[in-house]
Amino acid sequence: MNLNLDAQQQNTFDAIVVGTGISGGWAAKELTEKGLKTLVLERGRMVNHPDYPTATMDPWQFPNGDRPTQEDLRQQGVQNRTGYTIRPSTKHWFVNDLENPYTEKEGKRFDWMRGYHVGGRSIMWGRQSYRWSPMDFEANAKDGIAIDWPLRYKEIEPWYDYVEQFAGISGQSEGLAQLPDSKFLPPMELNCVEQELQKSLKSKFNRALTIGRVAHVTQALAHSPQRGMCQYRNLCSRGCPYGGYFSSNSSTLPAAAKTGNMTLRANSIVYELVYDEQKGKATGVKVLDAETGEQVEFFAKVIFLCASTMGSTFIMMNTVNSRFPNGFGNDSDQLGRNIMDHHLGVGAGGDYDGFADRYYSGRRANGIYIPRFQNMGKDKRDYLRGFGYQGGASREGWWRGVSELAVGADLKDLVTTPGIWTVGIGGFGEVLPDESNRVTVNKDKKDKYGLPTLTFDTELKENELKMRKDMASEAAEMLEAAGVKNVKTFDGTTGLGLGIHEMGTARMGKDPKTSVLNKFNQVHASKNVFVTDGSFMTSSACQNPSLTYMAFTARAANYAVEELKKGNL
Amino acid sequence: MIRMNRREALQRTALMMGYAVSASALAGIMKGCKAAPELTYQPVFFTEDQARIVAEVAEIFIPKTDTPGAKEAGVPGFIDQILRECYDKEDQDRFLTGLTDFDAEARKNFGDSFVYLEPDKQLQHLKAVHDPAIEAAKKGNGDDKPFILMAKELTMLGFFTSEPGATQVLQYSPVPGAFKGCEPLAEVGKTWAT
Repeated sequence: MNLNLDAQQQNTFDAIVVGTGISGGWAAKELTEKGLKTLVLERGRMVNHPDYPTATMDPWQFPNGDRPTQEDLRQQGVQNRTGYTIRPSTKHWFVNDLENPYTEKEGKRFDWMRGYHVGGRSIMWGRQSYRWSPMDFEANAKDGIAIDWPLRYKEIEPWYDYVEQFAGISGQSEGLAQLPDSKFLPPMELNCVEQELQKSLKSKFNRALTIGRVAHVTQALAHSPQRGMCQYRNLCSRGCPYGGYFSSNSSTLPAAAKTGNMTLRANSIVYELVYDEQKGKATGVKVLDAETGEQVEFFAKVIFLCASTMGSTFIMMNTVNSRFPNGFGNDSDQLGRNIMDHHLGVGAGGDYDGFADRYYSGRRANGIYIPRFQNMGKDKRDYLRGFGYQGGASREGWWRGVSELAVGADLKDLVTTPGIWTVGIGGFGEVLPDESNRVTVNKDKKDKYGLPTLTFDTELKENELKMRKDMASEAAEMLEAAGVKNVKTFDGTTGLGLGIHEMGTARMGKDPKTSVLNKFNQVHASKNVFVTDGSFMTSSACQNPSLTYMAFTARAANYAVEELKKGNL
Repeated sequence: MIRMNRREALQRTALMMGYAVSASALAGIMKGCKAAPELTYQPVFFTEDQARIVAEVAEIFIPKTDTPGAKEAGVPGFIDQILRECYDKEDQDRFLTGLTDFDAEARKNFGDSFVYLEPDKQLQHLKAVHDPAIEAAKKGNGDDKPFILMAKELTMLGFFTSEPGATQVLQYSPVPGAFKGCEPLAEVGKTWAT
């Protein structure tokens, strides 16, 4: 009895954070800095900054020109649906699909791209960081779509300020209503052709083109001496030993560790919440040790679920008891529904004559951004919401020689001069929440650890498909107007998932009957559980979402500590 | 008798140098044609005869000039490995069938295996196969690249991701430290390797 009590005491903390990606890292930092003894659980292996195994390797140090082998594709074929992730230089950041299977409803693809390790996808993320605008928080109410957001931009604005100054967001202020400026570090440069496109868009369409807003250090960050400046290597997804971009490993976890209040436990798969029916709240989490197979319980007053949208949703759906027969906090039957992403892979590209005597130096790990211009002010389209474009211009490299007639010394000579400038832009479109885009627990298929898996039933709906036509044609029109030649549109329609922005499965709202969380990311039915990864999103907007997850997580952590002090949790 | 002695002598030399001379390579030398090219690696995917043809083709695409060529950069071994590890059976077979056809055409038009032809004849044969393939590809004839274009692509991939290709023919900067978006090409210099 005493032994058990001791064990329980040893396993008891003020707070538990599940997951170490963008949201988990922020929760860990905020809770520990506010004095809470915090257990941070990560299902995957340990990754310590700056130990990223391939980060400083040269191209010739990888086998097969850094192309995936047939064996790689057998083990990580689903993860390779991006077409760019499963390579010797980065494949270790993505799961083995044979060990971590999931099911797709017949004929409906869902691309679930993920990595299980400390830092999560904050190591391989695209680093594009955009604020939402007032318009985005009002959209559902205005259009009568799904449910209204329970808060407005003004409430989250100071938290954007706060997280940006810590993360370090490089960008250019533009004063746009639909894309509020961040607290910026100096912007990266546009190249020659991008500058021309910017001028053309302004003069011919009155539209903006700005350098991508990215979580890269372009000016020293005094508060994080372990983070150096971006070195313009563009090898970010291998992990950056310079700390040149924001990741949990380089930024929030070191801050949390510094407080002395963090216990970080890797290889700890949280598969269920411990729910105390008498207290009417969750009291802990059940952990399966990925290395030993041992099952352990940990307890805390406050629990932050930051295990990624599908990860947190799984934990909640897999927590079934007499109070929550349909999954933890799922009184509304909305848990697992309304899966959103950003639909992409559609746009246009072409060749740019001119600037043959100009080139660039350094590898800018960033592109251009054309903020949304549809369905704003007097602009009306035959679909709701809108899209932004990401892309860029560059000169063709040695690869162009493959399709030239030259061979021998002529071929060698030819490719030492860069080829023509090419330019391309691809849309990132808003996906509307739809209850039928859904994930459920599959007890029939088990993963490597014997745990149930997920089944996805998702597809692009009419609004997205209509929008895609516009995404292609607007792209072509803008490029042609800027003098781009041989403009070709592309539309690689797949489904949801490849934006790697999956979100919405535990949405926040005012009414517990139609939402899972309240506006502070608290589970309506168990206020000491906060869910702050992408699952809280009530709509998707068209901007990359990580910055918004950071802001909401910091705000929720601050609120949790206040509530704890008041004795409300 | 003389032939026997010569064969023995050749094999002995080969053994001393640490690699084997294949029967067909030996045949070429016996015939008094151009010597069979040495293999600079031990093929796994290819037979030695196939490997010799591929190595010659790669060196014709990217020859040694004042900078290293395909062979010196290890491209033949690269092609052997990438075909074995990264390509599915269908693509592997297309490459090998194309390779056989390529050599059969050489025999038909020039009377000998590609590896024994004089350099000008090798180039003539390669161009005769390569140029129409490039023209066909420009017209967008399918995704299934023929042998000659697969060989060219793999040669270039292997070469320009090799240290000599990236650093001596192109330029490579492991840690640029800064980005400048619109600089005079004359000041930047050659194409970046990455």
